[in-house]
Parts: sequence; structure tokens; C-alpha cells
Amino acid sequence: MESVKLPAKFALKNGVEVLVRDMVRADEPAVFEFFRLLPLEDRHFLRNDVTDPIRVHNFMIDDTHDRVRAVVAELDGRIVASAEIDRNHFGSMTHIGQLRVIIARELQHQGLGTILSRLLIADGVNAGIEKVLAETSTENKAAMLALEKMRFRKEATLKLHVKDLAGRKHDLAVYSYDVSHIWDKMEALVADYSPMREY
Amino acid sequence: MSRSEIRVGGLGGQGVILCGTIIGKAASIYDHKHSGMIQSFGPEARGSSCSAQVILSDEVIGYPYVRNLDVLVAMSNDACHKFLPELKKDGVLLYEEELVSFPEGTRPAKAWGIPATRFAEELGRKLVLNIVMVGFFAGVTGLVSRQAAEAAVRDSVPAGTEGLNLKAFARGYEYGRELVGGAA
Repeated sequence: MESVKLPAKFALKNGVEVLVRDMVRADEPAVFEFFRLLPLEDRHFLRNDVTDPIRVHNFMIDDTHDRVRAVVAELDGRIVASAEIDRNHFGSMTHIGQLRVIIARELQHQGLGTILSRLLIADGVNAGIEKVLAETSTENKAAMLALEKMRFRKEATLKLHVKDLAGRKHDLAVYSYDVSHIWDKMEALVADYSPMREY
Repeated sequence: MSRSEIRVGGLGGQGVILCGTIIGKAASIYDHKHSGMIQSFGPEARGSSCSAQVILSDEVIGYPYVRNLDVLVAMSNDACHKFLPELKKDGVLLYEEELVSFPEGTRPAKAWGIPATRFAEELGRKLVLNIVMVGFFAGVTGLVSRQAAEAAVRDSVPAGTEGLNLKAFARGYEYGRELVGGAA
């Protein structure tokens, strides 16, 4: 998959055009503001308390060095979405990519999550990732449908795994998109056995 | 008549034949020259010795085998020392520097090494080392243009892997250009 050259503009379902570009360190105040304005219920399922400037700073500098790529979407100079694909840089799961996408309420259900996900999946494949994982609450039917449209497959439902703001437990769906077949073809091609084989 | 004779040698599984195929395809299809390739590989898919003989020429190729080796691309120690005697006196040796070693005083004058396997691993996939070598070949020798080689890479690898393969090509090409003192 060839990576999309950024920055690039994308039209959403509602006709709004957003600018998608790589996230840079100078975005820290704007990213912090974006996270701060997210409704509490959207922030609640994130890994970090994004209202804490230190947490946002660590996110920006990629303190784990696991990031493959992080992008933001801008509308009228404001950040309206943040997305990243991470991988472990050591160990048995370096071939697994974890996809994380957060969209501002005003632009949810407009196809922006799909645009950002496709873009990051291509980057993941180009970095040698064989399987992309995404997680969502089973309450989020729109996210589940979007993942399924992108050919993600539900691998598991972790029962009563996440808690909402009121302390109620919900199921978490784990989706995966296996792209290893792409690299299997390349492996067959470099086998130096018969270059005439079909792939 | 300009004729260049190239041999790519290495181990099965390193993509030796694909490396030769891409060089030939770049020259013939995209640089509009003539090329021919003869391949030789063992019965095993991986680990056996294999090589490709590639001829690039401005004119129709009547004899497709290497007689005066201009460029040896060596991806393994065995291949390097097996084919080095074929290399003509002022020939160019391009080798995988972490897999090939030379006894004292036996390294040819025009020899350039590249840690292609390490570069490929750093990019995310060891199996694109052969594409790093294609880039290195193009960058050092200039026998195929960058545009032609990139088009041949894009055209030769499975759909979905073009991005990483083109990065691997660029890594090898730029490293090669730096070594020979040219702008990448």
C-alpha cells in the first residue's frame, strides 16, 4: 500500500473539507485543547487522562517510541481528530499494530474515522505490520459498523471489561484486520525457487 | 555498443532472482534499452546458492550469458567469493557488508558495501533487503535510472507492499549515491 502524501484535504459526507496532516510537536497546545473539549464520555475510554498536560506532553513526544505514525485532522485551524497507529518496538508482538482514532463530536459519523484509519493502515503495512487491532465498546454500533466495512473482523468480545462514568461495566469488542497475506506473497516472491510462480 | 554484464548472487530466500529481474525490467521496459536474464537456483526455496546473470545493452542481445563481468552484486559471502574471479579488473563489486568479508588485501578496488539486511530490518521487514540492493545498484552504478528502477519495483512486487519496497529502494539508492559522492 502506498502511503497517502500528507498534508491532504478530504471531503466528508456532510460536505465539510478537512485537512489531514502529520501531528508535530508544535501541535501540543492545539491537541491539548482538542482533548479538553471532548465530552467526558468520549474521553473516558482513552488510555490517558488527556486533561492532564503532562500526559498530553508525553503523548506528543511519543515517550514509548512505539508510534508508527500519528496524524491530526484540522478544520478552520482547529484540530478535530487525532489518530495514530502504534506497535511494540520489541518482543513477540512487533508485527501487531494498534489503531486509535478520536473524532470531535461535531464530525463523528461523517467518514472521517474511516479516512484516517485507512491512511494509517497503509502506513502500518508499509512498516511491516501484519495485523491491525482496534477496540471499541459494543455500545458504539457506528464504530463497529465502520470497522466491519473496512474488513476488520471481530475477534473477541471481552465481557463486562470496561466501566463507564457511572461505574457500569460494558463489553469491549476487539477487532482485527489481518494483512499478513500481503507479506506472504512477497515472501513467496523472494523464495528464489521459481520467479514464474503466480502470486 | 554499450553492454553491461551483471551478476547477482546470494542465497535462496534473499530475493536474488527478483533483484535481477527488477534491474533488467528497469533497463528494458522503463529505460528503453535491451536486457536479458539467466537465472540459476537450487532445489530448495531457501538457503541454497542462487544467482542471476543480467545483460543490459543498447542493442539487441545475441548472447545472454556473462563473459566479462562488469558488476557483481553479492548478497552472501559464498556468492561473493564464488563469482569474484569472474569480475573484470576494473569491475564494480557491490556487497552486503555485514554478510561478506574479505581476507586481507583481497577486496577489489572498486568495491562498495551496504548493510542491506540491517536497513531492511530497520524499515520493518528483512525480506526487502533485495530491494535495498536494487537501490544500491542504481545509486552506485547509474546503469538504470532512478525513475525506471522505481517503476520496475512498483511493477514487480505484490500489491500492498509497494510502499515499503519503494522506501527500501530509496534507502539503498541514497546510501549508494552518498558513497560515490553524488547527490541523491
